Amino acid sequence: MKGSTLRKIIAIVMGVYVLAVVAFYFLAGHQLRFRNSRGNIAMPEQVIQYAELTDGVTVEQSFFAPIQRFESVSVKFATGVRDTNEGTVLMEWLRADTGETLARETFDAAAIAEGEVLSLSLGEAREDLYNVPMLLRVSADSEEGKCVSVILAAKRGGDETVLNLRPDDATLFFSASGEDYIWSGMHYWYFAAGGALLLALYFLAVYLRNARGKTGFFVKTVSAMQKYRFLIRQLVARDFKTKYKRSVLGVLWSFLNPLLMMVVQYFVFSTIFKSDIRFYPAYLLIGIVSFNFFSEACGMCLTSVTGNAALITKVYVPKYIYPLTRLMSSTINLGISLIPLIIVSLFTGVRFTQAAILSLYFWVCLIVFSLGLGMLLSASMVFFRDTQFLWNVLSMIWMYGTPIFYPDSIIPERFRIILRVNPLFHFIKNARVCILEGISPEPKAYVVCFLFAAGMLLVGSFIFRKTQDRFLLYV
Amino acid sequence: METETMIEVRDVTMRFHMNADKVLSLKEFVTRALRGKLKFEEFTALENVSFSVQKGETFGLIGHNGAGKSTLLKIISGILKPTKGSAVSRGNVVPMLELGSGFDMDLTGRENIFLNGAILGYSEPFLKDRYEEIVAFSELGAFIETPIRNYSSGMLARLAFSVASVVNPEILIVDEILSVGDASFQEKSRRRMTELMSGGTTVLFVSHNLDQIREMCGRVLWLDGGKVRMIGGAEEVCNAYAGA
Repeated sequence: MKGSTLRKIIAIVMGVYVLAVVAFYFLAGHQLRFRNSRGNIAMPEQVIQYAELTDGVTVEQSFFAPIQRFESVSVKFATGVRDTNEGTVLMEWLRADTGETLARETFDAAAIAEGEVLSLSLGEAREDLYNVPMLLRVSADSEEGKCVSVILAAKRGGDETVLNLRPDDATLFFSASGEDYIWSGMHYWYFAAGGALLLALYFLAVYLRNARGKTGFFVKTVSAMQKYRFLIRQLVARDFKTKYKRSVLGVLWSFLNPLLMMVVQYFVFSTIFKSDIRFYPAYLLIGIVSFNFFSEACGMCLTSVTGNAALITKVYVPKYIYPLTRLMSSTINLGISLIPLIIVSLFTGVRFTQAAILSLYFWVCLIVFSLGLGMLLSASMVFFRDTQFLWNVLSMIWMYGTPIFYPDSIIPERFRIILRVNPLFHFIKNARVCILEGISPEPKAYVVCFLFAAGMLLVGSFIFRKTQDRFLLYV
Repeated sequence: METETMIEVRDVTMRFHMNADKVLSLKEFVTRALRGKLKFEEFTALENVSFSVQKGETFGLIGHNGAGKSTLLKIISGILKPTKGSAVSRGNVVPMLELGSGFDMDLTGRENIFLNGAILGYSEPFLKDRYEEIVAFSELGAFIETPIRNYSSGMLARLAFSVASVVNPEILIVDEILSVGDASFQEKSRRRMTELMSGGTTVLFVSHNLDQIREMCGRVLWLDGGKVRMIGGAEEVCNAYAGA
């Protein structure tokens, strides 16, 4: 390969790396450095008693939490299902050791709705409250029959007790939240620079080898890409053209299909899950679009080698081109089906933020993962035709094992391992966080998804490479 | 005469693991493996075949069915890797093993020209440049914009030959193709072949038609049961083959 061409390609790759690293820093923003603290106290779930806040009653909750940057505490209220409450409710948050008042606020009892959660916020996050004993005090000046109540739950262990109110073995319906620092995120630029250094060293080695007339993996890949670019384009165009060739609506199906599936599933499941999930139509559609792509791409790759038997036995073309082109045409479909996703999201009130761009990362991971699995399946299909039937069953299990139309919270704790080892769950969940919640997932999520995708690609291409010389004898 | 070696086949042996019957399902594989009945029969398709072809030569391959001709061609075009030995070919190999194997029936003639051209390794500018020439040679006229599933087999063969022969490949592999189309097209393709050969293309030619071999080839290799039976001048080998 010519030195000047190689220099140009290396410069482009390095440029893209720098751009991606800088863009990621700004797109990920706050979530790069902080994540919801592991020490956060969640609202209890089981109600055992209501405590009416009449004049003179004070409910105190002592607590502590290992939160590095404390932000707020919240209390849930009940109204006794009246809208005639009067008076004011005072919430105070103080340190138990020094008596310092961290925050206090009064609320109009009449304005409190049933089940409303009221919060005290520090304004600026504080770092000196890590595991410090604190008190949350709620009182009111209402008359009996016109007062709101706090809710008590069974004690959860730890150093929480409700004072000044029987029974002692209860805890208030409250939550505490804050953030922890992310070590890797705090040192982001060191990691970025380290990555750049490794990349630069690698390219230096590639360049020097090339200058000595040797070819390595990188040079081979790039020259194959150049040589077979036209063929790849033709094969992708063929897949794409023939897919809708004789249908009336043609390419419109690429975005009608996920839309119709979404509508059907929406009507079937909305009564069950709608209340749990914000933006349920968009939530559904992200799952459907991702899983559709995954099953279509893998299904297409599966038959890519056996289906092109006529070519494989006649002309020499690197064999990975067959699964690769199938994957690329599925990717075009994925791109098209993002259009209805954007439309539906806007319709259901999703606010797109800069983080939505980050969802592309997780789709790229999904694509790479599908390529790896597709190569594995296509190679296996050559030797065992049972693969296609096994895959049909497997992909169905996979579909039900992935939270596409249901929230992941319905999976009981003891089965959550199934989700944790399911790469699709990670890809889809994080894409949803980016789009629906408008924030970036924590940095760990990026690493996990990368490892899943790269691992699958490595395994898939390794097996494909090992077996490809024998394809001819079996197709 | 130039003596640049274009194809160098050195001591090539090709063995296939032939299962007594192909095991294509997992269940079969597992049950057989468990019963220890997963044995392979070795089948030697080629044994210690060596020869070289010089630039500009038209080299004939003859032999009975199953003698290993097609296997040898596949090894030379890089589709198969030999079990032993090596086959090196310099320059781009355009295989005309079976015409139009890369065609897609749902695409039009025009789209198929580009698809098939890409499969044969032509570049995009080259194809665009020669597109008119290909269409003209195929005599398809207005049918070129019709999906080829509507073509007759003669039309398909004409299109395929036109795409494959438009290029001036360095090595052309011809496997029984001069029998495509009607008499006039056969004549035309024969002329095109002769033209290619005189243009410095190295041709590997496989045919059962000894007259054709005598007419077109300089040297001929006779394969018999995977071994080289005879290699030499066309006339000499053809006579021996006909006499055997």
